[in-house]
Amino acid sequence: MKQKRKLGSFIKFMILSFVAAIILLPVLWMFFSSFRAAKEIISWPPKFLPHEWVFDNYRKVFKRAPMMTYIKNSAIFAVSTTCLSCMINSFAGYAFARLHFRGKNVLFTMCLMTMMIPFQVTMIPLFTMINKMGIYDTWAGLILPRMAGVMGIFMMRAFFVGLPLELEEAGRIDGLTDYGIFARIMLPLAKPALVTQIVLGLNGAWNDLLYPLLMTSNVRMRMLSNGVALFVGQDTTDYGPAFAAGVVSMLPMLLLYLFGQRYFVEGTATSGLKG
Amino acid sequence: MMDWLKRVRNYWSSGSRTGYVMVAPAILVLLIFNIIPLFASFGISLLDVNVLFNNPKFVGIQNYLEAFRTPRFWNSLKNTFIFTFLEVPCQMVIGLALAAVLTRNKWVNKLFRSIYFLPIICSATAVGIMWQLILNSNIGYVSWMLRSIGLPKISFLKDPEIAMYTVIFMSVWRSFGISTIIFVAGMQEVPAELYESADLDGASKFREFFSITLPGIIPTIYFVLITRLIGSMQVFDLIFVTTGGGPNFRTETMVNYIYSRAFSSDTRLGYATAMSECLFAIILIISILFYRRMLKDEQA
Repeated sequence: MKQKRKLGSFIKFMILSFVAAIILLPVLWMFFSSFRAAKEIISWPPKFLPHEWVFDNYRKVFKRAPMMTYIKNSAIFAVSTTCLSCMINSFAGYAFARLHFRGKNVLFTMCLMTMMIPFQVTMIPLFTMINKMGIYDTWAGLILPRMAGVMGIFMMRAFFVGLPLELEEAGRIDGLTDYGIFARIMLPLAKPALVTQIVLGLNGAWNDLLYPLLMTSNVRMRMLSNGVALFVGQDTTDYGPAFAAGVVSMLPMLLLYLFGQRYFVEGTATSGLKG
Repeated sequence: MMDWLKRVRNYWSSGSRTGYVMVAPAILVLLIFNIIPLFASFGISLLDVNVLFNNPKFVGIQNYLEAFRTPRFWNSLKNTFIFTFLEVPCQMVIGLALAAVLTRNKWVNKLFRSIYFLPIICSATAVGIMWQLILNSNIGYVSWMLRSIGLPKISFLKDPEIAMYTVIFMSVWRSFGISTIIFVAGMQEVPAELYESADLDGASKFREFFSITLPGIIPTIYFVLITRLIGSMQVFDLIFVTTGGGPNFRTETMVNYIYSRAFSSDTRLGYATAMSECLFAIILIISILFYRRMLKDEQA
């Protein structure tokens, strides 16, 4: 019996490791390949580790495309939409959770319904609207529509609903207004929920492809996710820079994942429990 | 001046006004950039208009009729369904199986979970670049492995018979970890007593999985199913960066077709919007069907 249990958990471990290898090996192979010399990349059979570590591919990537502009644009877009939406979502989340006002349920249902609207239905009118407003290809046009998000509102609402009523009463006794209670008492307590939202927001905005593609046409406004796509295509023959470009686009979020992994996992896990 | 400011502040702090002030920014953003475009889209779908919106012409339901007459529309619909009905079950089964094994919070399990979750940080572009190079028939590692065990050279993304399956594989690779994490969270909520009594009865692990775990996480399964179905029906980015809908339109899905009609060549916003309305209708029907099943199952 014991022998059988051991064998069982060994097989389990092997399967789990196999799946982990399918995830990790491609990423590692891309990473190692980005340091290979051009000659080595096309040599057959391919090796896993580079024979000699060179930085040529990175130099080429930064020379051929305005990578610094892409990185800067992605960073501006990700950071500004995340900060603004975090603020606006926590205001709304708090009001829906703790304040009483007429029409609250109607407004909340409206928020719920926007979650059902797929982006591809609104993308063309949104594009036209931004164009007509004269803010196409500008930061305003990129950031304004992404200043609030239903998922964020729900996440903050769920968090604030769970806080005890006594906190509010204590604040009121101290003579705080509702804004004061929110800013001085509730918001500081919401730090974990806020960090989760920031982490997921940064990741989502950094990796978004369709939306920035739609809202910009000028190379100077282009983001990393679509700029880097140009390095590989059906007719690519110079593979080295493609590897390097892939690594560059992944690196910032990889760092974020290493430090904020907990928040990625918790944010995603709880999204399913509320459903 | 200060007095005036104070009066404004007092006015907006009293009673229920605080609530309105606090929800106003979010409601405005959602209204202007989500709800108004939704209603506008119905109108645009009745127009014949190019990307610059110069002299729009009202054509009624012509755009819809044209879509129904166009083989490329039906082809993209078919591809969307193939993608969805292979991708979603694959990643749900993989996610459920892995979650069942990784439910307990041991450090090994946590390590595996965070490895499986890693692709969440990869943009479609990064995933696309990576797999295109690994599967490349000249330099790719996978091609080399296949050849070293005697298999012929395969062009994973250029062979019309295989390209769709390759895209599905990449998509599963990218997102099964998310399903795993959500299922783990659901399984941890299943009361431990149920397993204890089953253990006393001598039930096998498989038996426990099918008669305790699965029924215990029905709401989570529905959540993942519905969100993944909706997400897969809207698949765009992975295909856009890898095959671009080719070879021979064999991987062109609805959103890829909509995008190309709206923005790449010979732009026709009205026609593209009419097609997105069709996709919206399909997504709505699927969601309603599954939600109703879900509510029924929860009452039972």
